[in-house]
Amino acid sequence: MSDTLTPDVIGRRVEVNGEHATVRFAGVVPPVAGPWLGVEWDNPERGKHDGSHEGTVYFKCRHPTGGSFIRPNKVNFGTDFLTAIKNRYVLEDGPEEDRKEQIVTLGNKPVETVGFDSLMKQQSQLSKLQEVSLRNCAVSCAGEKGGVAEACPNIRRVDLSKNLLSSWDEVIHIADQLRHLEVLNLSENKLKFPSGSALTGTFSALKVLVLNQTGITWAEVLWCAAWCPGLEELYLESNNIVISERPTDVLQTVKLLDLSSNQLIDENQLYLIAHLPRLEQLILSDVGISSIHFPDAGIGCKTSMFPSLQYLVVNDNQISQWSFFNELDKLPSLRALSCLRNPLTKEDKEANMTRQLIIASIGQLKTLNKCEILPKERRTAELDYRKAFGNEWKQAGGHQDPDKNRLSEEFLRAHRRYQFLCLKYGAPEDWELKTQQPFMLKNQLLTLKIKYPDQLDQKVLEKQLPAFVMVKIRRILILASGGMVNKLW
Amino acid sequence: MRECLSIHIGQAGIQIGDACWELYCLEHGIQPNGVVLDSQPDQLENAKMEHTNASFDTFFCETRAGKHVPRALFVDLEPTVIDGIRMGQHRSLFHPEQLLSGKEDAANNYARGRYSVGSKVIDLVLERTRKLAEQCGGLQGFLIFRSFGGGTGSGFTSLLMERLTGEYSRKTKLEFSVYPAPRISTAVVEPYNCVLTTHSTTEHTDCTFIVDNEAIYDICQRKLGVERPSYASINRLMVQAVSSITASLRFEGPLNVDLIEFQTNLVPYPRIHFPMTAFAPIVSADKAYREQFSVSDITTACFESSNQLVKCDPRLGKYMACCLLYRGDVVPKEVNAAIAATKSRHSVQFVDWCPTGFKVGINNRPPTVMPGGDLAKVHRAVCMLSNTTAIVEAWARLDHKFDLMYAKRAFLHWYLREGMEEAEFLEAREDLAALERDYEEVGQSF
Repeated sequence: MSDTLTPDVIGRRVEVNGEHATVRFAGVVPPVAGPWLGVEWDNPERGKHDGSHEGTVYFKCRHPTGGSFIRPNKVNFGTDFLTAIKNRYVLEDGPEEDRKEQIVTLGNKPVETVGFDSLMKQQSQLSKLQEVSLRNCAVSCAGEKGGVAEACPNIRRVDLSKNLLSSWDEVIHIADQLRHLEVLNLSENKLKFPSGSALTGTFSALKVLVLNQTGITWAEVLWCAAWCPGLEELYLESNNIVISERPTDVLQTVKLLDLSSNQLIDENQLYLIAHLPRLEQLILSDVGISSIHFPDAGIGCKTSMFPSLQYLVVNDNQISQWSFFNELDKLPSLRALSCLRNPLTKEDKEANMTRQLIIASIGQLKTLNKCEILPKERRTAELDYRKAFGNEWKQAGGHQDPDKNRLSEEFLRAHRRYQFLCLKYGAPEDWELKTQQPFMLKNQLLTLKIKYPDQLDQKVLEKQLPAFVMVKIRRILILASGGMVNKLW
Repeated sequence: MRECLSIHIGQAGIQIGDACWELYCLEHGIQPNGVVLDSQPDQLENAKMEHTNASFDTFFCETRAGKHVPRALFVDLEPTVIDGIRMGQHRSLFHPEQLLSGKEDAANNYARGRYSVGSKVIDLVLERTRKLAEQCGGLQGFLIFRSFGGGTGSGFTSLLMERLTGEYSRKTKLEFSVYPAPRISTAVVEPYNCVLTTHSTTEHTDCTFIVDNEAIYDICQRKLGVERPSYASINRLMVQAVSSITASLRFEGPLNVDLIEFQTNLVPYPRIHFPMTAFAPIVSADKAYREQFSVSDITTACFESSNQLVKCDPRLGKYMACCLLYRGDVVPKEVNAAIAATKSRHSVQFVDWCPTGFKVGINNRPPTVMPGGDLAKVHRAVCMLSNTTAIVEAWARLDHKFDLMYAKRAFLHWYLREGMEEAEFLEAREDLAALERDYEEVGQSF
């Protein structure tokens, strides 16, 4: 890279030995001569200081060891999009065979052409490309105007994750030239937002946008979404997002939203995205959620929130209350749920019971943890649920005779489906509800202590025997000792 | 030219076959009725289709009506499983003559599959095979799908393989076999069936790719978040590996690998032909874009036990040969770098007498996922077939179980009743013991 540092170098993304950073300062740092670049590393522990040197503050970093000064020639400013594609996808020319000379007539003059064959081969290779993966290829800009559109206009899917793009302006320059772009992955880039509004039509064909680990905020997400009228899938993993406002005109076509590993999300923020009309799949893994409420749904009613939600993923969260699943029953379209590795579902011994309770709590569920719920399984689960809470039902006012049935509101709210289960399988009978001690021998044993009255230094023997044996012993002793049985107990 | 005939035997073979042809149809754009999806909006796609049409001739036969019929045969000694295919989603894909079923099954008994019941069906099966072979311009070989533990899968397959060697002596025969899982057992007499079939099939097969249900079960649970994997989930994962192995035969690619090339590069000695299969990356659909898999990531993953489709620890043995079949967005530069990195790792030890060790195949078609499946769509994948001495652990386990049962002559009378003799058991056991010794010998240093 040239040593001349222009002011626009500030804010650019660079790479040094595999580590990515943002340029924050360019200039001289006395007393050492020569130009320096001050960079803030992505990795907060990679640097030596926080932007200040010997008392003078040259630039600011978020972490005390987040910054370093580096010589400009040690830094990789990246390459342009088209060059990166060529580096990766074009096979090197064969040695000399492509260097055939051909004589062509241009106008009146004969002209020698050398190497045209290989050029044409290259060009046809590039124009056929539909899917391009340029992860970690140090792409920092679009390159010369129109270059991409001419060489590889048919690209539909681009992976530009972990590159050196520093702002959305560059992304727009690239996307403008790819009219068929459907899938764009910009994960692990730190992009500045442009000051002006984007050109309309840039992302008109875009269906899938991946922005994992970009540090994007919710406001910025909505801004991006405004440029993508047909967006169907949006991935925002690990961004520390806080949902701050309700999307009104944007994100209305989104079918899949991935918000995993955004630890600052809580259940109240979910209300703000509850009215996206087409949202079918919501991924909330590892967000730290422990409860969810749909207050607008009364007893026996469904909620108006998340009207199209079919598949909910809540793995790796803090769910510890059964009421969570009771609430999920309020979702009108829910068909599939994944809730692995939560405190409530962690016990291996009771995995089966957990599964059954979830199935019974959510009536319309067809798939749980990626396993289809067969009708037989549902039937068993519901019957067990009905029996398990039978006593509570009775205490809450339940009665086999429908006229005398006066269930408390509390019970109805906590067990939304109980009435329905009673209608389906009949109200639980009294004999079903008796809690029986399992007939185990150990519950029937009594302890017998034997003392030797004549030998007081002998230890008292203790034996556990079944009751009927005890009775027999007692009878024999009564007969034998003529009434001195008291000493034996 | 270069056609391959697939024969699916027994319940396991048939169910795997069902998943397998479903995947092939998805990959080639063939609808469940055998017709190729013709309407592509733009010219680029059409050009691509022409390209792919020419190559899938290896697995599909095109009839005059424009239907594409799989070059496959489904055989079982009892009708229930095959009826599933006859009534299933793909019933119009197969010709009725390709679905063969008998009336009484082998009842988990090698002897019935091989001698009493199997012998009644074998001639019909061979006749149908001949018919399919005649439709081929240049038959390359056979792919046999079966399980070791079942009656039909063990007994009938050994009978069939013997007869196939007789009739088609110069053709390659590759097997995809389901090995009995170490801890999950579906039949008590599995060890008997396995030992007997291994003994009689070894000399007729060129290469056997083994998978076991327990390994795939664990993968489904841990990596794909499936709480209780069904056979459908297990088969879907297994056929991804099968598809990678046959991808070169069905699609054009920069570095193709033929059926014969597998043998040449993976089998150092005729009897040492049991490579272990591994597949990477295995990502759940929920985590589609969360983890990135570069070529070096997936190559490293193949050498981890959590990606293997067989339960065995390769660190306890040495590699004799390794075949890496890449598919999708893979560039030769990156492959070379990944392999160089692998060679330098201490945990990957090769035998002294095999310095190079790696065979690479690259195909540009990325893996296809089945709709409603558990796997995420990825840009690139690799299937590794490695011939490692550690696989002897699998045989040792099997032999041990066999010995325990045979010492008491338990369940033996069911086999003797069908006409077998104890001598055959002893012979088979001897053969497996010799196989174990062979493996130990090749693993030794100079």
